[in-house]
Amino acid sequence: MDAVEQENSERQKKWLKDKKIGEGTYAVVYQGREAGTNRKIAIKKIKVGQFKDGLDMSAIREVKFLRELKHKNVIELLDVFSAKTNLNLVLEFLDSDLEMIIKDRSLVFLPSDIKSWVAMTFRGLEFCHRNWILHRDLKPNNLLIASDGHLKLADFGLAREYADPGYKMTHEVITRWYRPPELLYGAKYYGSAVDIWSVGCIFAELMLRIPYLPGGSDIDQLKTIFRALGSPTEEEWPGHTKLPNYVTVGQFPKPPLRDLFTAASADALNLLNKCLIYEPRKRITAKEALHHPYFFALPYPTHPSKLPKCSTKQDTPPLGEMDGNLNGKGRKRKLSSPDGKVRSIARKLDFGQVVAGSDG
Amino acid sequence: MSNHLYPLASLVQIEQTPSREDGIPESLEEDLRAYGCKLIYQAGILLQQKQVAVATAQILFQRFWFVTSMKQFGVGDVGMGALYLSSKLEECPLRMRDIINVYDVLLQRASHSIGPKADQQFRYYPMSYFGDTFYNLKEALVVAEMQILKRLGFNVHVVLPYNTLVNYLRLLGLGSNKEVCSRAWGYLNDALQTPVYAMYQIPTIVCASILLATRHLSIALPSEPPTCWWELFDTLWDDVWSVSGHIMRLYRPESSEETQLVVGMLTKKDVRRWLEENATVLPRP
Ligand SMILES: Nc1ncnc2c1ncn2[C@@H]1O[C@H](COP(=O)(O)OP(=O)(O)OP(=O)(O)O)[C@@H](O)[C@H]1O
Ligand SMILES: [Mg+2]
Repeated sequence: MDAVEQENSERQKKWLKDKKIGEGTYAVVYQGREAGTNRKIAIKKIKVGQFKDGLDMSAIREVKFLRELKHKNVIELLDVFSAKTNLNLVLEFLDSDLEMIIKDRSLVFLPSDIKSWVAMTFRGLEFCHRNWILHRDLKPNNLLIASDGHLKLADFGLAREYADPGYKMTHEVITRWYRPPELLYGAKYYGSAVDIWSVGCIFAELMLRIPYLPGGSDIDQLKTIFRALGSPTEEEWPGHTKLPNYVTVGQFPKPPLRDLFTAASADALNLLNKCLIYEPRKRITAKEALHHPYFFALPYPTHPSKLPKCSTKQDTPPLGEMDGNLNGKGRKRKLSSPDGKVRSIARKLDFGQVVAGSDG
Repeated sequence: MSNHLYPLASLVQIEQTPSREDGIPESLEEDLRAYGCKLIYQAGILLQQKQVAVATAQILFQRFWFVTSMKQFGVGDVGMGALYLSSKLEECPLRMRDIINVYDVLLQRASHSIGPKADQQFRYYPMSYFGDTFYNLKEALVVAEMQILKRLGFNVHVVLPYNTLVNYLRLLGLGSNKEVCSRAWGYLNDALQTPVYAMYQIPTIVCASILLATRHLSIALPSEPPTCWWELFDTLWDDVWSVSGHIMRLYRPESSEETQLVVGMLTKKDVRRWLEENATVLPRP
């Protein structure tokens, strides 16, 4: 065993594997601990198809980008080691993701909570973009939540550099519902604006508690977008009819956002609108977004430690016990209404003055 | 985990590489590295690979030999692995089969050139996709890719020198001098066959290329203290000089025995055989 092998095996001993917690396309994820400190960690074991194509591109991208990115709103890569023919990424352990939180109907979101999650998303994203890295797969499921409430961008398996603006890229990225129209039209030259569109969709989903633009196919995705935001005109988005996969999917009028987001503040809608501008070059950037008045207006973003959290299955208190929980530290905000009603009430509470006021 | 994004070999690694520790003489290691890089370059051309990906492969290849002995991995296999890995890193993936075929041609041609029939025309005998050769090369390629990543501690970040060169020449008032520019550019490319990208920071290497280019064209730059042009770029004369030396050594003529020796040592098996026959293992420091 030479020096490198030795170092690797010493590193490997530092990380203890406990149990399998999930499986993705190219990796199996285990929960584990750091020997000595017992800090909880996640070990992502990359499946190596020994006689296929060697290492998966996504795995290589993930290692490459996470090594470079250190930020409190980006998942931290603690170590990498290999065992036999496997690659293992050691990641900080993150309890849940934004999708779980959005889907947990027992949680009530305040406008300040939404603001906090959106702000953390933009902070992480601004850092990526500042380092010329596109995420290309932003969706609630890839925004992981730490136990202290911090939100972190994860899953860099589709990320890539974009320093070279003239360079062709594939448009087969980003899960459909969060995919911007330029990618649906097959644009081969694109930039950080694709991530901003995804954040817009996530922002809307946080307010609605259901996916904002859930298309059933690529064509239907375009229809869904245009139904929600109106068909783009040549003036709004010059040149879009020349994109490789351009198709006409019918003319839709532009309904006011306000019709759907009845309770959102004017600032919130203004920012949302700027994330969902058709012309990618006019779309707001992550940096500009962080300076948007929305983040400086009342109510201020909730402190991460006070954000609503998912309850694990075991410790969900019976319904009816929670109403008294609305105040106090580390509270879980819940509603005792039967499921059907939760949504409509939650929508009102989300933006209504009543709860925002009574919370303070 | 270390946060060095642009890792350089340590002094210890430079003075006593793993191959040297195993008894491979310094000059032989140097020749093998250069030959391996040439193979990567030729394969890159045949595969019509992007230049950045080829350069990245060469730099990863050079870094690899600061942590690994040529007794353990073959120069040919690691070259293939580096090309394959860099093609993924630079988002222009190559097919394994294509790399294997191209390497097979290049290696057959090389051994033909030193064989008994070297005076006859080279004929390539394609291998069968179902035969042992293909299968073995494929396995070697997969292993090499993984080993490069692992042994470099996943430090696969590579910085290429070309933008820096353009900036420096502009600052020196040589921006519009096409001849200096293309010469220096050529030296930077040739330097990819040497270990300097794994040993020195980019500014140092770029200064060396400018030094060689301007000397060659007899262009005088301020070189007397207190105004030495290389200091403008925070580089040290000794380093610049040493990089220039590495590059210049590429151009010294090679005897046919030397070529024969190098071409006969492209696999770890060959290296091991040579070591057994010529064992003079250096004492460990
Ligand atoms: N850092 C982490 N901390 C805790 N759990 C994690 C962590 N990373 C991943 N997981 C869990 O492991 C599962 C698999 O993660 P992974 O990123 O490999 O794939 P995925 O995101 O589910 O799917 P895909 O590979 O298609 O993106 C996740 O759904 C999550 O439950
Ligand atoms: Mg995911």
